[in-house]
Amino acid sequence: MALNEHGTGGANGGAERDPRLTRLYREAAHEAPPAHLDAAILAAARREVGSRPRSIASALRRWHVPVSVAAVVVVSVTLVILVREEEMAERSMQAPVRAAESRAQPAAAPQTPPTPGEATSESAQSRPAAPAPQRQELRDDVKFSAALGKREDSSRAASPGLAEERAAPASADTVVADRLESAPAAANEPDRPAPGAQRAMSETPEMTVRAIGKSRPAVWEGFEKEPPEKWLARIEELRRQGRSAEAEEMLAEFKRRFPEHPRAAGPR
Amino acid sequence: MAWNAESSDEELMLHYRDGDAGAFEALYARHKSGLYRFLVRQCRNAAAAEELFQDVWMNLIRARAGYTVQAKFTTFLYRVAHNRLVDHYRKSNQATVVSLEGEDGEAIADPPDERERPQDETLDAKRQAGRLMELISELPETQREAFLLQQEGGMSVEEIAQATGVSRETAKSRLRYAMSKLRRGMLEWR
Repeated sequence: MALNEHGTGGANGGAERDPRLTRLYREAAHEAPPAHLDAAILAAARREVGSRPRSIASALRRWHVPVSVAAVVVVSVTLVILVREEEMAERSMQAPVRAAESRAQPAAAPQTPPTPGEATSESAQSRPAAPAPQRQELRDDVKFSAALGKREDSSRAASPGLAEERAAPASADTVVADRLESAPAAANEPDRPAPGAQRAMSETPEMTVRAIGKSRPAVWEGFEKEPPEKWLARIEELRRQGRSAEAEEMLAEFKRRFPEHPRAAGPR
Repeated sequence: MAWNAESSDEELMLHYRDGDAGAFEALYARHKSGLYRFLVRQCRNAAAAEELFQDVWMNLIRARAGYTVQAKFTTFLYRVAHNRLVDHYRKSNQATVVSLEGEDGEAIADPPDERERPQDETLDAKRQAGRLMELISELPETQREAFLLQQEGGMSVEEIAQATGVSRETAKSRLRYAMSKLRRGMLEWR
């Protein structure tokens, strides 16, 4: 290798190689570096490659793909987190509004058209009066319906039957609203239902189905044989309690039973 | 792209720059002996030659990251060696003496023939080679450098000029003087 025969051409006038001198030089020159020098230099060369960073260009070439992938992952995760946070903020804004709407509904109830609860009451007329313990069941029905409505809200599943059930009794919403009011902290956490609703949701689906399936007893049960004054007193009591829908329901039945009564004909 | 035994020096150096230590080993194996002999002949001191030899390769290793192909690798390697030799001469005050006797344009006189003409007309090649080495060591520094670069580095006149930092004509002149002296000195052994 060392004695490459690169011709310099005749243009170099005497500077070109002399074959005889070259051959003699090859025979004479046999020195080589000692082994310890070889080892030291090769070790240094390997160390340099192993420890020193490459040039910026080669480092960029090497890390181009991993850095790109990492950047895409970071951007994606950030976007997902931002979208989630926005959704949560939106829900937390909507929860108090929903609670306020629920509370405002009883006041507006007299102007609302007849609810399915009233229809139920009419159908219950032909039925024999239910025993007193059934009143508690009625309340449970209402609470379960409210809980169902809440659950439906949270899942945004539009089921016509359940939506109807949810929209029906103003008193049910009132119950839920009262529970929301009793737990303001819970209202600030939209993902977690209010304790009352949570309790209702925690009951078994069989119970819910059974409760919805039952016919609701009339609000005037037990007053069939009472005089008009007792009816009016009960209606007033219901109104005072904020149970406007039930008061309206009972007033309607009062008018039907006592059409001759001055309160039945005149303004309420 | 992998390298092989037929890869050029420049390709090997590029592979080493990119982190392939095996490419450096191949490159080192190609040039270590030639460079070592060049330094030994120029220094005339084995210990100093070894030190310079290590310095040259370490310079190359350190320059790895910024290496680009701008010239033939041997030109690059021997230019580093030439610069290290100049530093060495400066330190040892050897350069002055050497350069004075090595100036171009000196008269090419016949070397003094103080040796006894051998009785045996069929001198073996070994003795002829020994005589050549004596003549080489007697050459002025710059002429010896030009001759060794041609023999050990396989360089052309242009490449010698690049490696030593002189014009082509200067390099050519140095080489011509060196060859002339060596031929003349070896005439008697024909």
